[in-house]
Amino acid sequence: MAGANDIATQKAQDFVAGLTGSGTTGLSALAEAGRAALADLPVPTRKSERWKYSPITAMLASPVKVAPAPQAWPENVPTNPVPGLDAYRVVLVNGHVVPEACDLPVADGVVCMAMSQAVAAGLIGAGDEDWTGYHSREWIGAVNAAHAQDGLYLSLESGTSLDRPVVVHHHVTGQDVASCPRHRILLGANSQAEVVLWTSAAEGTSGMVNGVLEGRVGPGARLGVDKVQHEHGVLFHLAHEHVTQDKDSTFRIHTVTVKGHWVRNELNVLQQGSGAHTIMHGAYLPKGNEHVDNHTTMDHTVPHCTSSELYKGILYGTSTGVFNGKVFVREDAQLTNAYQQNANIVADAGASINAKPELEIYADDVKCSHGCTVGQFDEEALFYLKSRGIGDRAARALMVQAFIGDVLEGFGSEEVATEVEELLAARHSWM
Amino acid sequence: MLTINNLHARVEDTPILKGLNLEIGPGEVHAIMGPNGSGKSTLASVLAGREDYEVTAGSVDFDGTDLLELDASDRAREGLFLAFQYPVEIPGVSNLNFMKAAVNAKREHQGLEPIAAKDFLAMVKEKSALVELDGRLRDRSVNEGFSGGEKKRNEIFQMAMLEPKLAVLDETDSGLDIDALRIVSEGVNAMRNAGRSFLVITHYQRLLDHIVPDFVHVLSDGQIVKSGPKELALELEAKGYDWIKEPVA
Repeated sequence: MAGANDIATQKAQDFVAGLTGSGTTGLSALAEAGRAALADLPVPTRKSERWKYSPITAMLASPVKVAPAPQAWPENVPTNPVPGLDAYRVVLVNGHVVPEACDLPVADGVVCMAMSQAVAAGLIGAGDEDWTGYHSREWIGAVNAAHAQDGLYLSLESGTSLDRPVVVHHHVTGQDVASCPRHRILLGANSQAEVVLWTSAAEGTSGMVNGVLEGRVGPGARLGVDKVQHEHGVLFHLAHEHVTQDKDSTFRIHTVTVKGHWVRNELNVLQQGSGAHTIMHGAYLPKGNEHVDNHTTMDHTVPHCTSSELYKGILYGTSTGVFNGKVFVREDAQLTNAYQQNANIVADAGASINAKPELEIYADDVKCSHGCTVGQFDEEALFYLKSRGIGDRAARALMVQAFIGDVLEGFGSEEVATEVEELLAARHSWM
Repeated sequence: MLTINNLHARVEDTPILKGLNLEIGPGEVHAIMGPNGSGKSTLASVLAGREDYEVTAGSVDFDGTDLLELDASDRAREGLFLAFQYPVEIPGVSNLNFMKAAVNAKREHQGLEPIAAKDFLAMVKEKSALVELDGRLRDRSVNEGFSGGEKKRNEIFQMAMLEPKLAVLDETDSGLDIDALRIVSEGVNAMRNAGRSFLVITHYQRLLDHIVPDFVHVLSDGQIVKSGPKELALELEAKGYDWIKEPVA
């Protein structure tokens, strides 16, 4: 088997060598650390439990390249992906911010700009280029660090709040394009922000998106994120979010994969101040031969915190899904209340889901509940609907909407929820 | 309205209906009684188009349409309604959205525009009053957390909303206390008219005190073995089914 490993490593080296072009963020120490780590870290293979159901072999075989120069925003794509949403905008094409298409907030105590600008302005000091060490643990993270491009930099001073959400719209276009966006959100005490992370890709696009978001939610602050993936073409999308929460803060994220060829969302939340509250909701509805993986880690390290996690999936065709939800309740995290639920409908015989809740509880006075279900459409309920004159397709649509309804309910913006529902309805012919 | 001729049906390899004949005219109320296992609920399921049942012979004409050619939703759009013995709970689907989809499916079938929101709400108000279904139940998920009686009242509410030509009530009295039985029956009686027929399937005579049938049929081993006026139900109640189990030659 050593031979197979060597081949995998060789492929990975070729892949990295082919990426070419270093990042454009100006995070040079991070890039260097990333390059160094690439040489040492193992390439993810099926032998690693974390990557067992999401092999990246096919991605490594593709000759992707980091887009060298910024491109203009394509005319046929709306910069704001959500009709009717009144929002600020940071837009990227293939990992590069397009300044002329952005609409940034200007207010006291608010810094919102491209990551590269923030670096140029000296807002990210030496030694502060990375908060999580992701690049030193995961090969994929090292790839991002070595080639980090641009992204959102949002920093709110204590007590400020954004009057509108910020939409970060990353559009990918072209063939064999690698994008490595990098975002940072820093909320001061008692500040509030809503962010929409939207990724779109044009028809015929191929390549990799390897994105990192680092967030810090200060004491009493509230951060809400609506994250939507709506990607045509053949993209391998690896997204890694790491959010650290202080005392009495709230972090909410809704992750919906409307469409994506191969998607892996890694979401890590660390509660390090008591009284913190986390909401993680997600929905995935892959069809064809699509693949969607949600790996979440909820880390409770201090007392009196809560978390509520709800992921729902419907798998059509020959699609595959992964849900891996890890919850740590550390020894000091007494009186934690943690809830995790993952429910799946395997709609067609060829589809599959690998679901794994993982709870590690070291404190003794906690409330933790979790559940995981995998099933089919309830035929009896379908017959009931049809017996009232509702056609098969409409009946299934009603059941699907009911199934994922409680995930879609909690979006930060009504407009985002509506747009997501309409995209899903169009994609699955629910109208 | 409905003509069933020599109907044979089976579930997997087990024949259940074995040559059933029945004719229901417009505005008539027919009751089908019979012991457990005689095929009563199978008849209801076959008429409604449940796919687990295979019709192996015979025909069903529904107001000039070959019923067996249609799938369940088209049967409903043509004006057939089945009140379920065990109404299904559907979490997350609101009762009102469900009814709106059903009403509009029927209207589309008839070449009509979707119903206006105002008209729909007025209709809901009127029809739910028939079975004393309060707003709390109307607005909830379909049958979720409903009591047995509430589920049956919801069935009759749906029937009133859809205004079928033929309603099949499958053991609607099962699980009802006397008050719920009265409410459900009054709802059904309010809907009786010259153009609407009912097929009332029941194990017990007591429902027929409230919904008085024009004809009573006894089903045994997949066939109708005796038919008569409403008094037949009383006779069955007094004597049981044993005296009648053999088909009359």
